Amino acid sequence: MRKWWLLSAATVLWMASGYALVRSDAGRASEVPRRQIPARIVSMAPNLTEILFALGLESRVVGVTQDSDYPPAAKDKPRVGTFWQPDIESIIATRPDLVVTQTFEQHRDLVRRLQSMGYESLMVDVDTVAGLFDGIVAIGRATGAAVQARTLCQTMRAEVDRFAAATGGQRRVKVLWVVQREPLRVAGRATFVNEMIELAGGENAIGPTLHVYPALGAEQVIAAAPEVLIEPAMLPEMIDEQRIQAMSYWSRFANVPAVQAGRIHVIDGDIVSRLGPRLPAAIRTIAQCLRPDLFGG
Amino acid sequence: MHPPLTPQKLLLRTSLAGALLVAILLGCSLVGPQAISLKAAFHGPQIGGTPNPDYEILVRVRIPRVLLAAMVGAALAASGVIFQALLRNPLADPYILGVSSGAGLGAMLAVIGGLSWTLWGRSPIALFAFIGALGTVWLVWGIGRVTGKYQVTGLLLAGVVVNAFFSAMIMFLISIARSQQLYATIFWLMGNMTEEDWLVLWVGGGCILAGIVSLFFLGPQLNILSVGRQDARSIGVPVERVELAAFAISAFITAAAVSLSGLIGFVGLIVPHAVRLVFGPDHRQLIPLSGLVGAMFLVVADTVARMVVAPAQLPVGVVTAMIGGPFFLLLLVAHSKKVYWAA
Repeated sequence: MRKWWLLSAATVLWMASGYALVRSDAGRASEVPRRQIPARIVSMAPNLTEILFALGLESRVVGVTQDSDYPPAAKDKPRVGTFWQPDIESIIATRPDLVVTQTFEQHRDLVRRLQSMGYESLMVDVDTVAGLFDGIVAIGRATGAAVQARTLCQTMRAEVDRFAAATGGQRRVKVLWVVQREPLRVAGRATFVNEMIELAGGENAIGPTLHVYPALGAEQVIAAAPEVLIEPAMLPEMIDEQRIQAMSYWSRFANVPAVQAGRIHVIDGDIVSRLGPRLPAAIRTIAQCLRPDLFGG
Repeated sequence: MHPPLTPQKLLLRTSLAGALLVAILLGCSLVGPQAISLKAAFHGPQIGGTPNPDYEILVRVRIPRVLLAAMVGAALAASGVIFQALLRNPLADPYILGVSSGAGLGAMLAVIGGLSWTLWGRSPIALFAFIGALGTVWLVWGIGRVTGKYQVTGLLLAGVVVNAFFSAMIMFLISIARSQQLYATIFWLMGNMTEEDWLVLWVGGGCILAGIVSLFFLGPQLNILSVGRQDARSIGVPVERVELAAFAISAFITAAAVSLSGLIGFVGLIVPHAVRLVFGPDHRQLIPLSGLVGAMFLVVADTVARMVVAPAQLPVGVVTAMIGGPFFLLLLVAHSKKVYWAA
């Protein structure tokens, strides 16, 4: 019995000393005075990198994720892990003043860890078109580039509005946005893809769904009767190959209007899957698929 | 057969394993995707008013992570010994009674629910996983109690079915998750090691250490129990009480480990077997040695996981299975002539 008492006493002592250590350590957390305007910025997502570059902050970006490949100059910046798996060691090695992240769980976790070490960070929720504009403004404010941010937003807004104006009041083209073919998954209504389709003068061929990217059966495809099929390609160099595969896959749905009319488009996935300063270009790409009569094919 | 265990042998083996663990901890904390200089790290947190990245990487990233891996490995391996002994089943591991799926479900609910509050600066995922794990074990234990008071089959079946049911619920949640949430949970389900706060390490480490020591205290009774419950009862071992205590303690340390690191498979299954193959089935030795070997194994596996595809990292669960599987088969072939299977 004595050993059990000893063990309990030792455990209590252990916990108590931990508490005492933490109390004594609390005042000593690294208190390095931070600069007002960050001079060393790390970006944790490809679209955030694009925003930072578009704001003219290129020289102050000291780290980007491995998937940050646009603008091409971003490829020369030091890499700090991937979008999904940030590498905290290489982030620390860049000695950042500001780490810009998205808001999903892994990034939130990263921000918590960085904050406990005394690093500044900025989380932006760029998941919708409105969120993109807010995010650009927030990044501009945090980096001392508020004026550039406002200008960038105005330019983008003007271009986006041009598409809306050109297609306003016209019949909406029904689109199925194919994320994956086998098994078939498409973009649902609660996505920014859906917003881009609507801004480009289209309408999602499927209605509201439980899933954000729902899986569809053949029956639902036929019922949705899309007039246009759009597939973003994984890699730009795969577009041609993917187009051939898409044609042969969709030939089984001979009665779907898009297949009958041959309106199956495989487009550059990077432009349309990153919500960033290239939003107008993304909408133009989609609009050209939907309304070649208005925007040229 | 293995020669009988003497206190001297036990002490010698444990201290050797302990020394080896310390060496591995030191070695592995010097390796990482970012090359650091130990000399620069000794300059302390700041050099001339600016933060010292070498120090921060070593003290705030590497060492905490290596220690966490050691804690989790020790907890999983030691409770693997207990589950194999109590269920009298060589296929048992710490997850067999539903800890994994319960923890997984808890973690998924926290992610899908988009809970963004923090508890002492920590995400609610760990807390939900911990509650899910313990709740599931409690449920399974309750069902097992009702179905088979004198045999473990009821308990095992209850564990398997609850595991399957909760796994189905996890699959359902995965199918409705947004892709961003999906990645967060998939990494968690495959074992996700990151550095932890020193306080978390201290508290978690204390719980796990105390748990392993108490299991070690139960070693002699577990030895008698492994002969058979009837025999044990006739010698005067309080069978139900020992079983309940061993279950509760190992479920608790497994839940603590899982909530800190996600689901890391294989450690709790093969480390106890490997130690048993090499050193024999005496629980007084099996428990501390499995704990130490489990710690070494997971520290090494995690270092491999950090290094192979750096600066990205592999899920450590993948590495444990890929290194552990072939290594265990080698051990099995080399040693199986000497032992008979009495788990």
